Amino acid sequence: MGSGNDSILDMYLYETNTLLEQLDGILLAAEEADTFSEDSVNEIFRIMHTIKGSSAMMEFNSLMTVAHRIEDLFFLVREKSMDVVPEQTRPELFDMLFQAVDFFRGEIEKVENEEPLSQSIDHIVNKINSLIDKIQGNSSAPAANNPAEPESAAAAGEAPAPATADAVNQDYPYGIHVFFDEGSGMENLRAFMLLNGIKDYCGDFVSSPENVETDPSTSDHIADHGFLVWFRTAEERDSVIPAVQNGGSVREYQPVDAARPAPAVHEEAPKASAPVAREEAPPKASAPAAKAAPAPAPAAGQQHAKESLISVNLSKLDQLLAVVSEIVITESMVTASPDLKGLRLDNFTKSARDLRKLTDDLQDVSMSLRMVPVSGTFQKMNRIVRDMSKKLGKRAKLTLIGEDTEVDKTIVDAIGDPIMHIVRNSMDHGLEENEADRIAAGKDPVGEVILSARHTGSEVIIEIKDDGQGVDTQAVLNKAIRQGLAAPDHDYSQKEILNFLMMPGFSTNTEVTEYSGRGVGMDVVKKNVADVGGTVTISSEWGKGMTTTLKIPLTMAIMDGMEVSVGNSMFTIPINSIQSSLKVAAKDVIHDPAQGEMVKIRDNFYPIIRAKELFQMEQGCDNIEEGILMWVESGEHSYCLFVDELLGEQQIVVKPLPNYINGFGVKNYGINGCSILGDGSISIILDVVNVYTAAHSSVY
Amino acid sequence: MQQTEEVLFATEDQVDEYTGQPTEIQAEKYLIFSSDGLMYGIKAEQVKDIITDYSITYLPQVPSYVKGVINLRGQIIPIIDIRLRLGKMPQDNFCGIVVDVDGNMVGILVDMVEQMVDVPLDSILPVPTNSTSQAMVSGMCTLPDGNTMLELDCELLLHD
Repeated sequence: MGSGNDSILDMYLYETNTLLEQLDGILLAAEEADTFSEDSVNEIFRIMHTIKGSSAMMEFNSLMTVAHRIEDLFFLVREKSMDVVPEQTRPELFDMLFQAVDFFRGEIEKVENEEPLSQSIDHIVNKINSLIDKIQGNSSAPAANNPAEPESAAAAGEAPAPATADAVNQDYPYGIHVFFDEGSGMENLRAFMLLNGIKDYCGDFVSSPENVETDPSTSDHIADHGFLVWFRTAEERDSVIPAVQNGGSVREYQPVDAARPAPAVHEEAPKASAPVAREEAPPKASAPAAKAAPAPAPAAGQQHAKESLISVNLSKLDQLLAVVSEIVITESMVTASPDLKGLRLDNFTKSARDLRKLTDDLQDVSMSLRMVPVSGTFQKMNRIVRDMSKKLGKRAKLTLIGEDTEVDKTIVDAIGDPIMHIVRNSMDHGLEENEADRIAAGKDPVGEVILSARHTGSEVIIEIKDDGQGVDTQAVLNKAIRQGLAAPDHDYSQKEILNFLMMPGFSTNTEVTEYSGRGVGMDVVKKNVADVGGTVTISSEWGKGMTTTLKIPLTMAIMDGMEVSVGNSMFTIPINSIQSSLKVAAKDVIHDPAQGEMVKIRDNFYPIIRAKELFQMEQGCDNIEEGILMWVESGEHSYCLFVDELLGEQQIVVKPLPNYINGFGVKNYGINGCSILGDGSISIILDVVNVYTAAHSSVY
Repeated sequence: MQQTEEVLFATEDQVDEYTGQPTEIQAEKYLIFSSDGLMYGIKAEQVKDIITDYSITYLPQVPSYVKGVINLRGQIIPIIDIRLRLGKMPQDNFCGIVVDVDGNMVGILVDMVEQMVDVPLDSILPVPTNSTSQAMVSGMCTLPDGNTMLELDCELLLHD
């Protein structure tokens, strides 16, 4: 495969995946509301049309056929509004659509893996067809019920006919509307063969579309809207019916009469349209309008999608960021060059200021390029909760918090699977089997899974919390002992027991279900998260639920930090862990017998940790009145960090420390990473919790 | 064509005669630097940069021979003082060599960067086993100017 073809394929995959994700979102929202809004119907129609078109271009026939049928289905819905779908078939419709999305995903995956596409698409096509039939049956019902009422019959069944008839010769008013088998292919040639057959009975006719033999593009039109043959007299028409009946691949046919001038329609309507309406009203009804409608709408939609998004190779963004960082540093080297000292350069200073502003903007933009919100990953879980809740018969809702938290693209990619595993676990094992159990425990009968993301310091914390039955620690311990993971005569703490859940090959559920229980759950989660430098912790209370917390360092992430200095070193404290900063007088400091220092803030005592002493630095303030206290809080720890000076707030890019440095265990001292400031100097990012633990484990 | 090749070979032979090096011996470029009066060599292909006048950011809680980190064009690079690493007295000068050891970029503080030399591989001799103080050295050889080069083992420098 040539590289040009590859890039088309890439585009195709990207576009289709994006569309499918969009579709998933629309479907979930629509299912919630139990109806489709006009917008979403149009959107689905557009998505299907695009998928159909691009799949046809790539010659992925299975995708094309299914997309095509769904497009047909939504065409009906679009024409007649959502009311056309009876209440009782709606769940079926949603299920079918979700299945179709899965089917598309599966096929796309096959394309990605260069596997052959599936040939057997009958089951899904059949499902769509039966739905179409149901919807059509429904829409034709009013017409069929009132055959005696000419106006309504004319409106439902006959009214569109004039539009069709307008296109043909007025001399051939008697037509046959022929539909070929679904997906039979080469409809134009089938139509041509049919015409050949008709010639044996009657040679005087016109067809719509014309030129079927020579123009393959008519094929789609025929497949969508059927094939029309017009005759001069009703007798001639009736005479060719055997030919149509015997024609290959003919699914159905129906006689249609072209419109006369207005009064004639009124006359004709009762007798001509009544039988027609009973049989096959909707396809005919949809046929003429279809010619005009689909064309403009998809075109507008496609344009929109193409203009607002482009896909860029991640490595190019890395390159960009590296170059931009160099520019920023070089810029400050130029403008702060020692050669310029003592010179009065008004113009230069002004331009330098402008340059600084521009490079700052450039840096901000290039950094934000790599950041994506976690909402995409989170939204996918909606689908999982929905599917599992149906399958397992547990009612559950998913609550998303902090979807707009932005993290680096690589992290988003890495956490998708782990989160899915955990959500599945929560649905499968977490939530109670019976709603009665939930009610008995005083809980809402509808289970809840909460998925939340937030930044703290230099980590993104993702929590998956369910309000189910929690972990039966005794059962876990028993199983761990059975599997030889735990020693029988050892006392384990709750935390240690929960850690068994993440050991390879451990699964508490005795039965293997479709979703979980293969014993490759949590250990894989742990491994995947560890790959991006993160940790997984489980906490649980029996009867109340379980919380799984993923802590992932925000490598490359942007963070708001407060710059402080100690001696000539600079440190960054994550802004969201800072409560306030305060100056204290020496007499406000309270000493304890172990040389510890404390300060009283708003009726509470907080320990003081001196950064200079903790980090054994040579320079820095010793006098508590000269420096400043940063009152910080994270988790259950709250204390005051004593530093020299507050330099100001800054948005920074978190850079991990080199592995070599991390090898010395600096993380245990709260040194979590570093960032390069605008002037090229390095600031060390402190992790508030670890600073506290370090200060209290070491006697300084 | 034939003639041209002959001429080419002849010239090369002459060059070899001039430098006194037989062609078939493989040579490698080494960067020679001095530290505390000794000459050390690092394979030139490992050397990524030679830096002067960078401000080092102090890092707490690391061994004293790790002087801190520098920002080298957006990359954070740890700096090791080779004098302290080898248990010598530190000296206040800042000339560093950035080397790439298995993908880890590390800066090494040295007294002075001397020169680049081609060292025939077979002239590098093993270090006598009894010299424990030169633990970071994986081989030694005599340079054309009479000095002895100690081949620095960068991996040992990082992990011991």
